[in-house]
Amino acid sequence: MKKLLFIACVLVFWCQGPLYSQDYPQRIISLSPYLTEEIYLLGAQDRLIGCTVYCQRPPEARNKEKVGTVTDANLEKIVSLKPDLVLTASLTNPKTKEKLRNLGIRVVDFTSVSSFSQICGQFLELGRIIGKEKQAEEIVRQAADDVELIKKSVKGLPRPKVFVQIGAKPLYTVTNSSFVNDFIQFAGGINISQDAKIELYSREEVVRQDPDVIIIATMGITGQDEKAAWQRYKTISAVRNGRIHIIDSYMLCIPTPVNFTRTLKELVTILHPEK
Amino acid sequence: MNKKILYWIVWMLGLGAALLVISVFSLCAGSVGMPIKKIISLILEGKSSAEYSILLDIRLPRIILGFAIGGALSLAGVILQGMFRNPLVEPYTLGISGGAALGVCLNIVLRLHRFWGVLTLPLFGFLGAIVVISLIYFLNIRKGILKMQGLLLTGVMLSFISSSIIMLLMAVSRTEDLQGIIFWIMGSLEEPNWLLIKVAVIVSVLGLIVSYFFSLSLNALSLGEEEARHLGVNTEKAKRLLFILASVLTGLSVSVCGVIGFVGLIVPHFVRSFVGSDNRILLGSSFLAGACFLILCDTLARTIIAPLELPVGVITGILGGSVFVYVLAKKTVS
Amino acid sequence: MLQIRDLTCGYDSRFLLQDINFKVAAGEFIGIVGPNGSGKTTLLRAISGVLKLKKGVILFEGKDIPRINQKELARKMAVVSQNPPVNSLTTEEFVLLGRIPHFQRLQFLESKQDLEIAERAMALTGTLKLRGRPVEEISGGEKQLVLIARALCQEPRLLLLDEPTAHLDITHQVAVLDLIKKLNKEFGLTVITVLHDLNLAGEYCDKLILLNNGRIHKVGAPGDVLTYQVIEDVYKTVVLVKENPISRRPYIFLVPQEGRK
Repeated sequence: MKKLLFIACVLVFWCQGPLYSQDYPQRIISLSPYLTEEIYLLGAQDRLIGCTVYCQRPPEARNKEKVGTVTDANLEKIVSLKPDLVLTASLTNPKTKEKLRNLGIRVVDFTSVSSFSQICGQFLELGRIIGKEKQAEEIVRQAADDVELIKKSVKGLPRPKVFVQIGAKPLYTVTNSSFVNDFIQFAGGINISQDAKIELYSREEVVRQDPDVIIIATMGITGQDEKAAWQRYKTISAVRNGRIHIIDSYMLCIPTPVNFTRTLKELVTILHPEK
Repeated sequence: MNKKILYWIVWMLGLGAALLVISVFSLCAGSVGMPIKKIISLILEGKSSAEYSILLDIRLPRIILGFAIGGALSLAGVILQGMFRNPLVEPYTLGISGGAALGVCLNIVLRLHRFWGVLTLPLFGFLGAIVVISLIYFLNIRKGILKMQGLLLTGVMLSFISSSIIMLLMAVSRTEDLQGIIFWIMGSLEEPNWLLIKVAVIVSVLGLIVSYFFSLSLNALSLGEEEARHLGVNTEKAKRLLFILASVLTGLSVSVCGVIGFVGLIVPHFVRSFVGSDNRILLGSSFLAGACFLILCDTLARTIIAPLELPVGVITGILGGSVFVYVLAKKTVS
Repeated sequence: MLQIRDLTCGYDSRFLLQDINFKVAAGEFIGIVGPNGSGKTTLLRAISGVLKLKKGVILFEGKDIPRINQKELARKMAVVSQNPPVNSLTTEEFVLLGRIPHFQRLQFLESKQDLEIAERAMALTGTLKLRGRPVEEISGGEKQLVLIARALCQEPRLLLLDEPTAHLDITHQVAVLDLIKKLNKEFGLTVITVLHDLNLAGEYCDKLILLNNGRIHKVGAPGDVLTYQVIEDVYKTVVLVKENPISRRPYIFLVPQEGRK
């Protein structure tokens, strides 16, 4: 019996040991808003000691020490905070990453994601790195379940043609190399520009393909102006039926599993108002 | 006349002192403030502290690179303005920067740096610069004579062509690559690689030494090519070597630090208004003044809105431009 | 000192000078005259070595000019061009540029001797008072004197001048030519100068070379070249030639259309 208890104790310690060990980073700096948000989702905010000025969500993140912008982080500031892990993203200046590595600071770089499965994969990886694997798995499972449910609910419904605009002058859209494409597909729509080689798109092509829905993500451009611009093309079904929607670019551009399902739900109501 | 040489020595010493003061100021200033006393004790003692690392691994390399690049760009400016006898010529006029930028953009868009490492970026920049330099050079050499006017015109055209191609690349590139291109075009003294910094220092100082062998030829060339020949100057040799020297200095600066404007235009003018147009003093003092100017601008760029950082080109443009206009206005009044 | 044989040269494919032959002895004061476009400046540029020859040779002290090291040539021959570009150097610095051909390899600063020579050249040309002023700002007459001072700094044996009196008032015309004459007589400097003013040429030169359409029309003493037949032939205008009662040199009077009857 004593022996058994001992084994149980060892097992417990063995399982829990790594969770509390010093192996996991204790002073984390995030250089991307979505990574900051994911750290909060994983409940590791106590260990987050710095983030960028763009990290505004959740609101508590605003009170964290600021170390620069997404593209231009202040090395001195970062070094003075003595981090043991810096999380970088695709927009981080490559020179900053290299310099931090040269200074002996652990840098984990998250490349840009192009699908929902990659979003989940990255989230799990982040969880593993900061010792929150369980929480990460839980959140990912929940998100995957939600996505499956939504996919099922739109099965059999008519599939509207969708054009997603993420920039004006020049007109930018999303192709199948972006996870935004997954939104449209999962919500039961067809992204008309999914097979385009580059993101630069011509207005003529939009008119020719005649989308049923136009979604404008406001990112620096005022959505209303762009909406008015589309009104000139009366032949587009989306214009005739008044199906031009403005959506906060935050929703489209922050690739966390939780935000993904939230945005997906919103898109379903846009693409299938009858439901 | 010994007075003149004494005056020159005083100038060089003064600029050297200014360089020292600005460097120390730059070491002290930053988002993490450090008084000078602390710096001395830090250098003597703390090896592993964060402050020590900030000082010697972050601030010092920037200062050293600022010295090399500020000096190289100003030197190239003096040489080109002297050669072309045109006060509006600057290192970027000749399309060398355009070529270097194009090289780097191609590298980014083709994602070569991901396979072969970040060092390929400056390498491609330098290759781009060399391609443009040789194009300009061979398009304008006729029967062994380098046509100066053609050199300038071809250079300007090539810089338009390269900037158009860069725009084309930006239009068809993916968002992350776009970011990389913009970073690079904005220019910055942040350079993680010590090897590149060392190369920059060695090349720019060598450039200064070599330029002195041509200081008298440059003086003579300021009277035009034919007059220079009457004074016994081998103008063809001088023109060629000076052009190549200025191009190498510019190409190096652009490929290491990106495009940092105005330094090569303003500094030579500014220095000339104090020491006169004798290239024997102008070359050296412009080098030092350019180094001071760029280090100072970089310090301002990283402190003004700390922890955020401005592109250094913004400061060189605003500070340099307004000081220059002020000096010019004051001069015409008096 | 200078020997020109069968010289033909020009720009691109146009021949501006053809079949030029003449000799210059040391100590001579030679004027090149001729109508506009006759090739005066081209001849001077050919002698100075900046123009490639199509045919013929120019021997300077027995050596072919293109074969002479440029720096060595500049120590023996100085050129005062017409209206050359100037820079913002002070007059003294500008004059000192004339010492460049005498600099040693790896010499950057003027020696004491260089400074003395420059000072003497400026004293001789009467430009010492201008030493601190930028060359850009001095008057045309002063500039011409400064250019001659720079040429003297080269310590040449042959001085080439291109219209040294153009655009100058008579005070400066006389001052410049008197100075050149003095250099010629007292220092034995050989002088070849382009002059478009025939009276000045006749007054100062020992020998004139009259060019017409790129060929030598006549070479000789002023009295032989400046006759009314020769001038009317070359310049296609009516003139009257008399003698200057003081110098016994020919003097040319213009005859306007009205007075020709």
